[in-house]
Amino acid sequence: MVLELHVWGPAFSLPSIDPHCLAAIAYLQQAVPRGKWHLIATSDPALSPTNELPALRNGNIWIGGFRNIFHYVAQFSSGEWILDAGLPNQEGADCIAFSSFVESHGQPLIDLSLYVSSQNYTSITRPLYNTIQSFPLPYLTPPSVRAAAKLRTEHLGLSSLDVDTEDVDASREKSIIPESLRRPKATVSSLLAANPETNAQIKLDALATNYFEPLQKIKGQKQYFVSDSQFSSLDCLALGYLSLMLIPELPQPWLAKTMRKKFPDLCTWTGEMRDNVFGGPVDVGDAFLKNGGNSTSAERKGYLPWAAPTHGGAFGVGKVFLSSVADSLPVVGQLRRNTRMRQHGGKTLDDELQSSSWQSITAVGGIIAGLGLAVACMFQQGLIALPSSDEPVKESVGLNPFGDAGAALSVFANQLDAEAQRQRVMERHPNGAPVAEIDVEAGPGGVTVTDNVA
Amino acid sequence: MPPNKIPDNKDEAPPPAQSSFSQQTSKVRNFFSIPAPVKTLFDKVPVLTYPSNELPQRAPKPARIPSLYVFIKEEDAAAGRPSYNPSCLKWQAFLNIAGVNHRLVPSSNHASPTGVLPFLLPAANSSNSPQETSAPIISNKLIKYAEKLGKTVVETSSMRYEAYQSLIDHRIRSAWLYTLYLEPLNFSAVAYQLYVSPNSSNPLVRASISHQLRSAAEAELLKHTSIIDTDDLYSEADKAFEALSILLGGDSWFFGCSTPTLFDASIFAYTQLLLDDELGWKEKKLCRALRRRANLVQHRERLLVKYFGGS
Repeated sequence: MVLELHVWGPAFSLPSIDPHCLAAIAYLQQAVPRGKWHLIATSDPALSPTNELPALRNGNIWIGGFRNIFHYVAQFSSGEWILDAGLPNQEGADCIAFSSFVESHGQPLIDLSLYVSSQNYTSITRPLYNTIQSFPLPYLTPPSVRAAAKLRTEHLGLSSLDVDTEDVDASREKSIIPESLRRPKATVSSLLAANPETNAQIKLDALATNYFEPLQKIKGQKQYFVSDSQFSSLDCLALGYLSLMLIPELPQPWLAKTMRKKFPDLCTWTGEMRDNVFGGPVDVGDAFLKNGGNSTSAERKGYLPWAAPTHGGAFGVGKVFLSSVADSLPVVGQLRRNTRMRQHGGKTLDDELQSSSWQSITAVGGIIAGLGLAVACMFQQGLIALPSSDEPVKESVGLNPFGDAGAALSVFANQLDAEAQRQRVMERHPNGAPVAEIDVEAGPGGVTVTDNVA
Repeated sequence: MPPNKIPDNKDEAPPPAQSSFSQQTSKVRNFFSIPAPVKTLFDKVPVLTYPSNELPQRAPKPARIPSLYVFIKEEDAAAGRPSYNPSCLKWQAFLNIAGVNHRLVPSSNHASPTGVLPFLLPAANSSNSPQETSAPIISNKLIKYAEKLGKTVVETSSMRYEAYQSLIDHRIRSAWLYTLYLEPLNFSAVAYQLYVSPNSSNPLVRASISHQLRSAAEAELLKHTSIIDTDDLYSEADKAFEALSILLGGDSWFFGCSTPTLFDASIFAYTQLLLDDELGWKEKKLCRALRRRANLVQHRERLLVKYFGGS
């Protein structure tokens, strides 16, 4: 049986947009012989029992989460496909400790750089999801990933990178202070305020340096992070995180800039490893086998064993869409999340079917509740109104309710009407004799006589 | 010229429209002004400011030694025994190691200026006014405070420090949160006794506190993964203990220091509680993982004997 590794699709010329998926790809690429595994850019976390990608499929068994995948691959091959075997004690301990460090301190940096920073998110990251997911899903996935990223980075106090929440331009336009009395625009503080990344520069720099420094020190002059000869699981993880920090070209490149400026060794290592492990730049066409099928591109790349994803057609996409909608609803989403705390293990097909039927029941329930709420909301807002018997009688149109001023204006309005009428008459009799018209109007403000001589 | 600029026409007679407008505004102004009789009444009653009251008798007196506010039982506080909350215990152990003499005050998060325990109220200084002494010190400022008192704070400068600290702060902490709050047996046997029942005897309040605690722990774990994977949490904690055990090796203290450091205090905060039989753990998976590492168990014993009187 060929193992299938399901991942988030490629981005930034890397094989995946997610650091854990990159780590899993690197691990399988190094540990599992060619031909024993396929790489599939599914971009659908619902496939995995842990609701996250990467997920490994072996027949009916699904394994979610990159650590579980490492364990499963070792088990499956009875200890043959394993990277960390035979590391000496101290190096093994370092591998565990630095894996935890790379993951726990690297995630907030990636979150800030790719998702929280408004400029990077709107111009680069969000559009990327359009290329790796099918139609309605890019409307839901990036905002939910971004919300999770914001939650994770809340404690760092850098929410100012997200400028979507406050509308700067709107507040400027509504100002009642006349133009001449406003402060000139190009003060130093306003220049700084123009770019939240500049404001937070010192803090961001410190965060990034605190992350790269221990990594640089542990690597030293060795070829890999913990060992000089052995590619370990730490290298997979570090490659996943460091390449996502270094390689994306972003409008606010603070992370890559700090890395290039202060830690050139790490940059060189990341670049080399990317070429060795992922086989150089990867684009979306490679992953979906669009350009030229298997013949040319597969041989040119020759590195990653891509296989085309099957989305299960419109029904499959619809199901994923509905379940994501259900997740984002307040109460239903909470209920769905509560069911996610369960023992993990090799799941059989039976379990899978049962749980997926529960999922669809909750999804349908969620949709019905959501639609009900939306309709109720519309009623409240008055967007929809029930036909009621006591609908107010249409009031007489005109300017009468305005009193004296209305009367004066109605004269003007009538005059306009008369003008228009006269025009029409003129058109009807282009060569006719001059027509004299006398209009006598009986308005509320008295009788007004208007005469027009054409 | 901006259209809203008022033309300068002070020399000319004001147009009739404007004069009626100014009459209107003066009328409005008269309407809002204080009526004459009320004004005379106000003038007769002068405003007098009394000096502020004394604090009530039961208010805590400024102590002569600093007080550390932690989660702890009343009788344990008097005996100086370890707190039952890891982050409190970490700083309690740190102060003991640094030799800062302090007293323990049982408290809860609501008492803290930052919303989390522990915090330290410095000793009252006779030269200062009471307002100045009462500025509390939150936990991450405690190192600076100890240094200011002239205590020696040993800092480790190993390149491995950050990485192994992240094992404690993430891997072991996640497993701790799960095993204490989300493992049903442990929650009712341990957490309920420590955090819920001392606060209230009302079953409704107790149920609400329990729910809050559990959902807060769950939310914290779900921040980093999309699902709480029990096996993964426990196996990662097991690997973390393994790595820490290898790091400690045959030394007395971590990173080969001659005296314990903050790192020793932060690992002690978890090992002490996991190895404390009095807490009555029911699901002992995490405790068993720790007991397999003999040098970590001995490390905890050493700290307990040396800095907590061996209790």
